[in-house]
Amino acid sequence: MSDIPIENFLVLSAVLFGIGFYGVLARRSAILILVSVELMLAATTINMVAFAAYFDHEAFTGVIFAIFIITVAAAEVGLALGIVLRIFRERRTAYVDDASELKW
Amino acid sequence: MLELLERIPFPQQLDRIVIFTGLVAGALVTPIAIVLLALLIFDEITAAEVVFWLAAAVIILGALGAVLLPNIVHATLSLVIALLGVAGIFLLLGSEFLALVQVLIYGGGVTVLLLFGLMLTNAGDDPKVTDGAQKPFAFLVGILLAGVVGVALVDQDWAKTEVAVAPFTTLGERLFRDFGAPFEIASLVLIVALIGAVAVARRDRDEDDDTVEEGESS
Amino acid sequence: MGMEQVWLLPAIPAALFALLALFNRAMPRGGDGLAILGMLAVVVLALFVTLDFQSSFVDGKFAPGAEHVYAFEWARIGDSLLIEFSTYVDGITVLMLAVVSIVTLMVMLYSVGYMDGEPRYGWYFAVLSGFAAAMLMLVTSGNLLLLYLSWEAVGLASYLLIGFYWERQSAAEAAKKAFITTRIGDVGLLIGIILLWRGAGSFDIQEIIEVAHGGGFDNLYLTVSMLFLFAGAAGKSAQFPLHVWLPDAMEGPTPVSALIHAATMVVAGVYLVARMMPVFDEVLIARDVVLYIGLTTAAMGATMGLVTSDIKRVLAYSTVSQLGFMFVALGVGSVTAAMFHLFTHAFFKSLLFLGSGSVIHGTGAQMVEELGGLWRKLPATTLFFIVGSVALAGIVPLAGFWSKDEILVALQGGAPMPLFVILAATSLLTAIYTTRLVLLTFFGEPKDRHAYDHAHESPPPMLLPMLILAGLSVVAGFVAFEGVGKVLGFAGGVGNVVFTQGHKGHVFEFHPDVAIGATALGLAGIVIGFVYWWGRAERAERARSWAPELHDLLVQRYYMDHLYQVTIDKVILGLATVVARFDRLVINESGVDGTAQGIGFTGFRLKFLQTGRIPSYALAMALGVAVLAIVAFGRT
Repeated sequence: MSDIPIENFLVLSAVLFGIGFYGVLARRSAILILVSVELMLAATTINMVAFAAYFDHEAFTGVIFAIFIITVAAAEVGLALGIVLRIFRERRTAYVDDASELKW
Repeated sequence: MLELLERIPFPQQLDRIVIFTGLVAGALVTPIAIVLLALLIFDEITAAEVVFWLAAAVIILGALGAVLLPNIVHATLSLVIALLGVAGIFLLLGSEFLALVQVLIYGGGVTVLLLFGLMLTNAGDDPKVTDGAQKPFAFLVGILLAGVVGVALVDQDWAKTEVAVAPFTTLGERLFRDFGAPFEIASLVLIVALIGAVAVARRDRDEDDDTVEEGESS
Repeated sequence: MGMEQVWLLPAIPAALFALLALFNRAMPRGGDGLAILGMLAVVVLALFVTLDFQSSFVDGKFAPGAEHVYAFEWARIGDSLLIEFSTYVDGITVLMLAVVSIVTLMVMLYSVGYMDGEPRYGWYFAVLSGFAAAMLMLVTSGNLLLLYLSWEAVGLASYLLIGFYWERQSAAEAAKKAFITTRIGDVGLLIGIILLWRGAGSFDIQEIIEVAHGGGFDNLYLTVSMLFLFAGAAGKSAQFPLHVWLPDAMEGPTPVSALIHAATMVVAGVYLVARMMPVFDEVLIARDVVLYIGLTTAAMGATMGLVTSDIKRVLAYSTVSQLGFMFVALGVGSVTAAMFHLFTHAFFKSLLFLGSGSVIHGTGAQMVEELGGLWRKLPATTLFFIVGSVALAGIVPLAGFWSKDEILVALQGGAPMPLFVILAATSLLTAIYTTRLVLLTFFGEPKDRHAYDHAHESPPPMLLPMLILAGLSVVAGFVAFEGVGKVLGFAGGVGNVVFTQGHKGHVFEFHPDVAIGATALGLAGIVIGFVYWWGRAERAERARSWAPELHDLLVQRYYMDHLYQVTIDKVILGLATVVARFDRLVINESGVDGTAQGIGFTGFRLKFLQTGRIPSYALAMALGVAVLAIVAFGRT
């Protein structure tokens, strides 16, 4: 279908993963951290699908995994938002570094 | 209920924000698209490559927007753009089904969910400092990780194979025959997550007074 | 039932010990009947073992493989360490089985009367059973490790019984003293066993003997090993310089003294040396050490027995002295003489102890200064006690004569003349102190009217065992004779059977010269005793004033106990103080507390790393992941 080498997709996913990771670490808002997590998940999904498309022409296991990743990611977002809402209601903030009781 | 909706900053700003985001994205992507088209016309690259680079540009720019933009709503919308780009990559990789799913779930469901989260947590009222103090370290780690993984992936001597289109029938058979049990478990996970989210986020009865106060104060 | 089942002998009392120790309160009379029945069974089984032993022993030889009767693998560690539960029966074992089972049974019977109404009556019988089990296992065990195990077990039983009246301070201390003193020897024994195992590659006694015979040991190495082994024997058998615990052990109930501290446990050392005699023969230096230690102990014990006023202590010193006799016999390599003396001594010495117990039971006093003239009140006891005394003094034809004679003969043939003279003199002393004890206790004028008036003869359960033992004390010596031996089934008399591998037993011969000399010595001793202690013992009083220093030396037990006390006070406690200071300053304050404070301080400083903010943790984790990724990539 195309003559694009697989490296292109892989590097793209690596860069996307790095950006997502940066977001997870840099952001304060729980919602934005979730956003960054979504980016990381998308990066891994790209990786899986690329490998499946290039090297797994019979079974396409990577694609199946991508489907599962998307499913679980949806569940995760829903649940995480529930937790964020709860925290927000308890302490009037959605900033993770305000929740710092987990020390000494 | 109406009162509650009025407290939310989002609806009033929605059109403005969407238009702004779209304009910025367009402004950034358009030059790239023009360059790619020119290269295509002069037969320097194939059409597939044009699509790839375009999608890649959209993804990277969207992702950068998602992690860099100070406005939470902008960042979230930027995520949507990036995830739509990912859908394009799926198309390139011959997985139309995944592309559809990506658009439907991320472009629709997840984004809406996130925006609702924003609304309910009064994100608009929060100070604009959305990044933590450890941003430089985060930057370093991000670069480091992307670099290491990227170098490792490129360093590998991959076999030269063509992309194969995943037929829907194959996917169906794989999903419902070989991965039947995980599929069912995934559905269970979804419902548990749903119930769990409701249970966690639900307002307890004794918190009703709290709500009244909240309404009075705002 | 035969030698194969010899393991049953210790097993029966061991089971009874468990049963009685747990449930003696629930049983009628504390379960004493059960203990006695069990012991009776052991006596009967021992008889069967003896018969079986005789049938497998033909013409001075065992049927092939008959002596190594029972073994199963107990533990195996690699190829180098095999520990077997094995039993071994030979002439020595048979002799010991007879002694242990009969004396234990007699003492148990006696205890029914003596210990009647005591608190912890059932526990007493439980421990007696436990002791019997350990002692029987000791004499039937075929390897040194099992022997050591039972060695410690009899020590434990001894400790428990010496300290039976633990409410009494002196009893508790005597128990500790006995345990610790024998422990010093026991450590030597353990070292000796380990050394022998290291050299021979086996714990099996017969294998060790074979290796020693085959020259498998370095001579010096073997000497050292056997000396360590002898240290254990000396501790258990109260030999100089570890004899100090035995007189104090008299704090225990008198039947216990008769059983453990006269007839059985204290002869374990003699048994051990006899058992290992073929190895001692390879290293004559070690054997000479046995000889000289034995001689020293014999003389010291006899002299101390001359001046002691506690009946039981006199008998204890006598035991120490007689054990010395046995070691002298072993020192010249005569297993036969030593075991024979062990055999006869067990009967008459336990008889004497039971007799003294009868006196104590009847009068409540045990110092000769408080006794006297008791023959009118305790005629039977007096008679039995005299029988035992005459046997101890070595007068024809009682048991002690034959065996002591045998030792003197062995010494005459195997050692320099001065040693023989010393032992003969000790023999004379034996007769003197025995006579003194009898005269002061049973004759003369009663010194304590009150005790005398309340004195009463012991009940039949106490007199019966004494009667039996008195009978044995009279006749036990005759087993040595060829004719008597044949009747009993031992061709050539007991002497021909009692030997260890590599030794030839010998038929007892009557040596008229030595016999007449020894009898003369014994009679002379008795006469001297009468001269000094008959009536009011004025001569003895005068004799004391002639040499007060000597008397003092003896009364103070050669100052051995003082020496130990000083050693402990000055050397050991001084060392302990230094160690304690080191422990407190270096180990505790710098080491333990210092470590804790260091950790506390470090923790106090480091805790600020824990921000409690999830992003910090995520960052740390991400850094870790990045490093791991780099490492993983670098390795490919």
